[in-house]
Amino acid sequence: MNKDRHYSEEQLNAFVDGELDPEERSRLYNEAEHSEDLDRRLCQQRKLKELVRHAYDEVPPPRNSARGPLPRSTFFGRILAAGVLLTLGLSAGLVTHRFIDEAAIGSDAQPVAAIDNYILHVASGEPAQMRAALEKARSLLDSAPAGRPRQVEIVANEKGIDLLRSDVTPFAREIRALADSDVVFYACSRTIQRLEERGVEVRIVPEAIVEYTALDRVVMRMQEGWNYTKI
Amino acid sequence: MAGKTFLGIMQRQAFRKLIANSRERLYRMAYAWTHDTHLADDLVQQTLCKALSNRRQLRDPGAAEAWLFRIMSNCLKDYHRAKREILTDQELIVIDTQTPDRETHKQQLVLKVRQAVRKLPLAQCQVITLVDLEGFTYATVAEVLEIPVGTVMSRLCRGRQALKEHLIDVSPRSQGARATTLTRVK
Repeated sequence: MNKDRHYSEEQLNAFVDGELDPEERSRLYNEAEHSEDLDRRLCQQRKLKELVRHAYDEVPPPRNSARGPLPRSTFFGRILAAGVLLTLGLSAGLVTHRFIDEAAIGSDAQPVAAIDNYILHVASGEPAQMRAALEKARSLLDSAPAGRPRQVEIVANEKGIDLLRSDVTPFAREIRALADSDVVFYACSRTIQRLEERGVEVRIVPEAIVEYTALDRVVMRMQEGWNYTKI
Repeated sequence: MAGKTFLGIMQRQAFRKLIANSRERLYRMAYAWTHDTHLADDLVQQTLCKALSNRRQLRDPGAAEAWLFRIMSNCLKDYHRAKREILTDQELIVIDTQTPDRETHKQQLVLKVRQAVRKLPLAQCQVITLVDLEGFTYATVAEVLEIPVGTVMSRLCRGRQALKEHLIDVSPRSQGARATTLTRVK
């Protein structure tokens, strides 16, 4: 009755996961025919595997995933519709980068080589970081080649949203001045939504647009060949 | 030159298709790893963004899926490194009970299994879900998680052992009809 004991848990796992070669598999099948205990153990392993699969057949969708009409390609449209955001702690992923080449992925027809526009991403609530973003924007505008004006956008999310909160930002004047120089500001709609869910009343400076999540905007601009810089 | 351009377009289209097709699977896996819809959504978006920006690193199209899941696993590592977050069982229950479903037997079973999976160390949870949900081979899981195949096997073994202790009596028993029981679970 205990003759299956030489089969380790690893071997049984390998059996149910299809990792055994046909010969071993047949041998195990044959032995299970004559060993109730081995048969039971195999059954348990399979059952476990099925339970796990079953538990994640349907997973809850991302909350608040319904979004408005999407301005870009179908693929990115679907991404955007899913509700894009960068939460705290995930900031390690999007490091300062040039995305010119990748921009072609989302839009085959886009000529990208000549684009020299920038999207700056502020996710930090540190005033020094906010100031750095504003100064960077100014410096990018000032350093644009003559006759080739450069477009600059600043997108704020996570704690960086404070940059664009009218009752919190220490930089209202600078924002206004940059907006006058055609810098476009975006306040992440998802960040705002989360703050509001927590009962925070969020007021955004009139210069900022609240239409996209931060990553929506970043991805859109990446598609178009803009340079992305996380501050 | 034209051929090269054409090839480039084909590659881009194939890549775009890969990412589009993988999105739901990535989300399901991210959810199984985190049990948090917001975080899972973030992870998927982060993964896609990284995949887009690093697509040139993908040399072998046949390894594309493993590559995507590896990116996501690394994103999760970054997240945990940044947060140093350990959720308690109590939090786990709060998250799970947010599912607004009625208490049917099936849903109770689903919640119980998810709770048991959630209680596993992340390393074991990842191995089990990659094998069971995605049907990845041990070699692919090793590639995704950047660990030796032997480690995959031992983590799988310990993880399943722990799950068994929690779950094996959860689903309805059907004494004397084991094969039928297995079928009915699905």
